[in-house]
Amino acid sequence: MVSDGGWLRGGTGITPQRVCDIRPPTPKMEGHLKVLLLGLLVVASSATYDSINKDLINKKFDRKLDISSQLVKITNKITLENGGSGAVKSFLLAFTKVEKDNLSYLNAQSGGTVLKLAETRVQEHRDLAFFKVELKDALQSGKTVNVEVEIILTQILEPYPAIIQQGEKQLVRYSGNHYILTPYSSNTQTTTVTLPSPNIESYSRLKPTTHTDTSITYGPYEGVAGFSEDSMNVHFENNAPFLTVSRLERVIEVSHWGNIAIEETIDVLHTGAKLKGPFSRYDYQREHNSYSSIKSFKTIMPASAKDVYYRDEIGNISTSHMRVQDDAVELDLRPRFPLFGGWKTHYKIGYNVPSYEYLYSSGDEYILKMRILDHVFDDFTVDELVLKIILPEGVRNIILETPYLVERLPDAKHFTYLDTVGRPVVSVTKKNLVESHIQDFTLHYQFPSILMLQEPLLVVIAFFILFITVIFYVRLDLTLSKDDATEAKMRVSSYCEQVHTHHDKRARLYEKLEEELQKLKTSKDVAQSQTAGFRPAFRAANRTLISCIL
Amino acid sequence: MGRTQAKTMSSMSSPLGVKSLLVFTVLMLAWLAGFLSRLFAVIRFESIIHEFDPWFNYRATAHMVKNGFYNFLNWFDERAWYPLGRIVGGTVYPGLMVTSGSIHYILNLLNIPVHIRDICVFLAPIFSGLTAIATYLLTKEIWSAGAGLFAACFIAVVPGYISRSVAGSYDNEGIAIFALMFTYFLWVKSVKTGSLFWSSMASLSYFYMVSAWGGYVYIINLIPLHVFALLLMGRFSHRLYTAYTTFYILGLICSMQIPFVGFQPIRTSEHMAAAGVFALLNAVAVLKYLQSVMTRAEFRHFFLVAAGTAAGAVFLAVVGLTWMGIVAPWSGRFYSLWDTGYAKIHIPIIASVSEHQPTTWFSFFFDLHILVATFPVGLWYCIKNINDERVFIVLFAVSAVYFAGVMVRLMLTLTPVVCVLGGIAFSRLFEVYLKEEEQSRPQSGDSSDDDEDGEKNNKYDKAGKLRKMKHEQQSSNDGLGVNIRSMVIVAVLMILMMFSVHCTWVTSNAYSSPSIVLASYSQDGRQILDDFREAYYWLAQNTDTDARVMSWWDYGYQIAGMANRTTLVDNNTWNNSHIALVGKAMSSNETAAYDIMTALDVDYVLVIFGGVIGYSGDDINKFLWMVRIAEGEHPKDIKESDYFTDRGEFRVDAQGSSTLLNCLMYKLSYYRFGELKLDFRTPHGFDRTRNTVIGNKDFKLTYLEEAYTTEHWLVRVYRVKKPDEFNRPRIPVSQRKVKRRNVYLTKKTSKRRRGSIKNRPVVVKGHRPKTKLT
Repeated sequence: MVSDGGWLRGGTGITPQRVCDIRPPTPKMEGHLKVLLLGLLVVASSATYDSINKDLINKKFDRKLDISSQLVKITNKITLENGGSGAVKSFLLAFTKVEKDNLSYLNAQSGGTVLKLAETRVQEHRDLAFFKVELKDALQSGKTVNVEVEIILTQILEPYPAIIQQGEKQLVRYSGNHYILTPYSSNTQTTTVTLPSPNIESYSRLKPTTHTDTSITYGPYEGVAGFSEDSMNVHFENNAPFLTVSRLERVIEVSHWGNIAIEETIDVLHTGAKLKGPFSRYDYQREHNSYSSIKSFKTIMPASAKDVYYRDEIGNISTSHMRVQDDAVELDLRPRFPLFGGWKTHYKIGYNVPSYEYLYSSGDEYILKMRILDHVFDDFTVDELVLKIILPEGVRNIILETPYLVERLPDAKHFTYLDTVGRPVVSVTKKNLVESHIQDFTLHYQFPSILMLQEPLLVVIAFFILFITVIFYVRLDLTLSKDDATEAKMRVSSYCEQVHTHHDKRARLYEKLEEELQKLKTSKDVAQSQTAGFRPAFRAANRTLISCIL
Repeated sequence: MGRTQAKTMSSMSSPLGVKSLLVFTVLMLAWLAGFLSRLFAVIRFESIIHEFDPWFNYRATAHMVKNGFYNFLNWFDERAWYPLGRIVGGTVYPGLMVTSGSIHYILNLLNIPVHIRDICVFLAPIFSGLTAIATYLLTKEIWSAGAGLFAACFIAVVPGYISRSVAGSYDNEGIAIFALMFTYFLWVKSVKTGSLFWSSMASLSYFYMVSAWGGYVYIINLIPLHVFALLLMGRFSHRLYTAYTTFYILGLICSMQIPFVGFQPIRTSEHMAAAGVFALLNAVAVLKYLQSVMTRAEFRHFFLVAAGTAAGAVFLAVVGLTWMGIVAPWSGRFYSLWDTGYAKIHIPIIASVSEHQPTTWFSFFFDLHILVATFPVGLWYCIKNINDERVFIVLFAVSAVYFAGVMVRLMLTLTPVVCVLGGIAFSRLFEVYLKEEEQSRPQSGDSSDDDEDGEKNNKYDKAGKLRKMKHEQQSSNDGLGVNIRSMVIVAVLMILMMFSVHCTWVTSNAYSSPSIVLASYSQDGRQILDDFREAYYWLAQNTDTDARVMSWWDYGYQIAGMANRTTLVDNNTWNNSHIALVGKAMSSNETAAYDIMTALDVDYVLVIFGGVIGYSGDDINKFLWMVRIAEGEHPKDIKESDYFTDRGEFRVDAQGSSTLLNCLMYKLSYYRFGELKLDFRTPHGFDRTRNTVIGNKDFKLTYLEEAYTTEHWLVRVYRVKKPDEFNRPRIPVSQRKVKRRNVYLTKKTSKRRRGSIKNRPVVVKGHRPKTKLT
C-alpha cells in the first residue's frame, strides 16, 4: 500500500502523459479517500513481494552525502552490471525504516531519462523498505548501466546537544551507515560527506577514511556484500538555518477578469537546538554571536508578482524589503522577532499575478498551469501542504493532474463578492515536501463565457431595484388623512413654477425676437426674417402661457 | 468643503427637487469629508485597531462574531483579571459590538467577505457621517435647515469629535455621539409635535444609546432637566406631557434590558432626577385638571397643601430609600464631576488616567477653533428667541460646557452642541449679510433655506415653518452698504477656510497616531518602530497558551487582544485592590515581589521601557501612580515618600532614593541597560527619556530572567523562575525521583585506547600535508 506521504518520482522535465490524473472523491465514498487515489505511478500492489536478483552487481557505487544544510541530500551514482544470463528489467533500492519515514524526494535517472519508481517489499527483509526502479531498456547479460539516484531526507540531522544557550554554536549529529545500503554486492563503494564548516566534533572511522577541510571521504571499500552495515556518526557544527514550515496553506484564486491572487499562510518553526536560559537583547545587538538564530530569510516569488503583502493576525509586518529583479521578485522577510531554537512564528504572504501567464484557454476549455508549491526559503522543508484552488463560479468538469502523488480533499464551495451558487474549490494536501517539489500542476476545466456577464448584470439589477424603490417611495402617499392645506400649497407652488418656466421661455423668445428685429433693422431683409418663423412659435408660447395661468 | 460647494451652487428657481438635492448633496459631501479626514492613520500606517480600549472592543466583537450573540452575553472571560476572571457579557455596553457584528453579518449574507477587523476600523468614520445627519436634523428642528447644514459640516470635521472617531479608534464614543444627537433630535421633535410616534422613536434611540455608552446618564438627566425648566417657565403643555411620559416609561423599560445597566435606572441616585420629574409632571397635569374644575380659592388652598405634602413625601422617600440601601448613593465617578479634587484624594486610579484631567483653555481652542468663539453667539440667539426646544439646546450647551471644563474626555459631549450653536450663528450672519444679494438674484446657497417661507417650503420643514420668527423676515430692512457686506462675507469665509485647514491639521498631527505603531522621522525617511507588536506576537507564538502575564493595567487589553494571553489587570479597572496588588509587586523589591508573583501564579512580567528611544509614556514615568495606588491599599508596605529623594524629587540617577533604585520596576526596566552605550557622546546607561545616567547600573536578577526584549528595548518581557531554578535545595539520593540508571562505561575498547583531539589535522601517510599558503 502506498502511503500518502513520503515519496515521489519524476523530475522537472516531466511529460504530461506521465502525470497523475486525480479525480475528486465522490460523495458516497468520502470515507475512503485514500483508496480512491489513482495514478499511473501507483502500480505497486501491496500484496506482492519482490525478490532480490542475485545476478546484479554494483560495479561502482558512489554516494555523495550533503549535510551542509538542514536537509540530507544524497546523490548516488550506480554502475550496475548484469552478472547473470537473463536480461534484467528492474532493480531495487533499499532504505532503512527511519530513512523511509523521512524520505521526502526520490528520483532516479539514467542517461537523461527519468525512470519509473514503485514501492515494494522483500520477503526476507521486512524491516527495510524497497523501491523498484524500472530500467528504460532491459539490461542484457554482461552489460552495465549508469543510474543516478537523488534522495532528499528531512529531519534526519539531530541537534546534539539539543539545548544550547544564546551565544553557543549549534552542533548536529548525523547517524548513518558507512556502507551504502543496497541489496546487491558491490565491487567498489565510496562515500563523500560534505560538511558546512571545518569544525567537526567527532566522526566515526572505517579505514580508509580521509578528512579534508569540509569533507570526509569513506572508502573506497572493495567487495562489499549486499546489506552490509556499519554505523557511521558525524558530529559537526552546523549553523545553517534549521527552519521547518510546519504547515503551509496555499490558496490560488483564479479570476477570469485577468488576475490570479495567491495567498500563503505559513507556520514556521525553528527545529534546531532549543534555546536555554535567557534571551538577552544586549548580547544579541552587541556581540552578533547568536549563530543559530534566524533574523531573516528570502522568499522568491514570480517576476510578475505585484501588490505583495506580508502580514499576520495583528497587522502588517513592517520589517521586510522587496527587490524586483528581472526573473523574480525577491522578498527579504524578517519575522517580527529573531527565531531561536524552538521558537515559531506564523505569517501570511500574498500577491497577485496576471492570469495570462498561467491560464490558457480555447473556447470554453481552460487549462491552469501553476506551481503546487512555491519557494519559501532556501533548503526549506514543508511538513504539511494544503493547496486550495478557487475557480470562478460556474466552472464544470474539473480535472486535476499533478506531477507527483498528492491526496485530494473533498471539493468545497467558496463565497465571495457577487457570488450566488459559490465558487468550486479544489483542494489537495501532501506531507513532507522540499524544494524539488516545486513543480507545476495542470487543471483542466470548462467555463461557459456567457457567465462572465453574470456579475455586471447583478450589479446593474441591484442598482435598478434600488432606484426603482426610491422612485416609488418618494411618490408613495401613505397618509391616512388628507392634508388639504399642504396639498393646496404644493399645487400652488407647482403652478407658480410652471408660470415661472413659461415666463422664462417667453422672455427668451422676446430676446430672440428683439435680436431678430435688430438684425432686420440693419440688414432690412424682410423675406428672411419671415422665413425664420419666430412669430408662430411666439404665438404658441403665448397661448400656452395664458391657458396655463387660467 | 461641502459648505463652499453648496454656496456656489445656484439654480434658476427653488422648487422641491432642487432644494432637497442641495441638502442631500451637502450632507453627502459632509459625510465624505468627515469620512476621508479620519483616514490619515489608515493611509500612513495600516488598517489597525488603535490604542487600548479599542483592542478590548475588537476582541469582544471578534468573540461575538465567532460564537454568536448569546454566547457573547454569557461570556466569562477567564483570561482577564486572573484569578478572578471577568463576566464580560454583564460588564460591557454591547451596542458597539452588536452594531459592527450585524454589519458583518449582513455583508456576509450578501457574500461580501469583509474581515471583522476592517469593519471595526471603519465603523467610527462611517458613523461620523450619520452624526452629521443627526446634527442637521436637530439643528433644523431648533433653528433652520441652513443652520443645520452648517452644523452638519462643522461636526463632520471638528477635531473635538474626530479625536474619538478616527479610523481604528473603535470605541463606544464613536457610535454614541450619533445616538446622543439622534435621541436629542427625536426628543425635540416629540416635544414639538407631542406625538406618540416621535417620543417612542426617541426612547428607542435612547435604548440604542444605553446599549452603546455609559454616557446615556447624561441624556436621562438632561431631558428631565429640560422638562423641569419648561415647567418652571410655565410652558407646561400636553405635548410635553405626552412626550415625556412616553419617553420616560419606554426608555426606562428599554434601558433595563441591557445586562450591564440592569436595575440601575430605578436603584441609583443618578437616575432619580428622571423619576422625580416624571412624578412632578404628573402632579402638574393633575393640578391643571383640577384647576379646570375647582374655583380659584379652593384651588389655591388645595395647591398649597398638596404641594407641601408631595414635596415632603418625595424627599422622605428618596432619603429613606437611600438610607435603606435600595437606592444607591452617588458613585465616585459622579462625585468627581462636581468636585475636581475628589478623584485625586479618593480614587487615584481615576485621576491617573490622562483623559480625566481638567481641560485647559488651550484644548478648547485646539478642539473647536473658531466655534468656541461663535457658539455663545448662537446661544444668545437661542435665548433671545426662546421657545420650547431652544430651552433644550440652551440647557445642553450650559451643562456640556461645565462638564467639558471638568474633564478633557467630556469635550466630546460639548462638541456637538458647539457645532449646532456655531451653525446657528453662522447661518444668522449669512442671513443678514447675504440678504440684499438674494433680492437681486433669486438665491444663493444654503443660507437661502432660512428665508424661503411658507409657500415654497416643502415637506422637509413642515414643523419648522410653524415657528418661524418674525425677525427673520424683517431683518433685511437694515441699511448695510454693499462694501461692508462683501467685506464681512469675505472675512467670514476666510475664517471658515482657516477652520477647515485647522481641523485637517489637528486631525493629521494630533489624533491620527495608532499609538501601537510608532514612527520616527529622520533624514533618511520614516522609520517604523513596531516594538509593541513584536513583543505581543512573541508572547502569542512562543509562550504557553495559558501563560499569565503581569503588566501595568494600561497594557492589559493589548496583551489580551494581540498576544491572547491571560492578564492580571486590564483597562477595565473594576477591581482597585487587584490593581494595587500589581502596583505593590512593581514597587517592592525583588524578593517581596516574587512572593506576590508566585501567589498570583505569574509566568511573565511585561514592562514598557522608553529609555533607549526616548519614549516618554513608559512605565517609569507612570511609576508614581503605581506607588500611589499601591499605597492606597497597602499603606504599611508602600509609602510614596520612600520613592522621592530627601528634596522631594523623583529621579532615577545616582541621587535617587534607594527604594526606587531597588524596586522591581526599576530593575526590570534597566536590567543590563547600564552596559549599553547608545552613542559616542553619552556615557553607558544614559536614559534618553529622563536625560540622566541611571543610578543603579550593575545588578543581577535572582528571581526572574530576561525572556524577550524588543529591538528598541521598548517592551521587555521577563520570565518568573520556578522555585527550583534559583535556589535548589539538596534532595537526598534516596528521595530523588530521577535516578541515574546507566553507569558510565568507557567507550575505549582494547583496539582504540587513545583519546581524540578536537580539530586534529589528519595526516595520511605518503602525502604531504597541505599548506595553507598555496
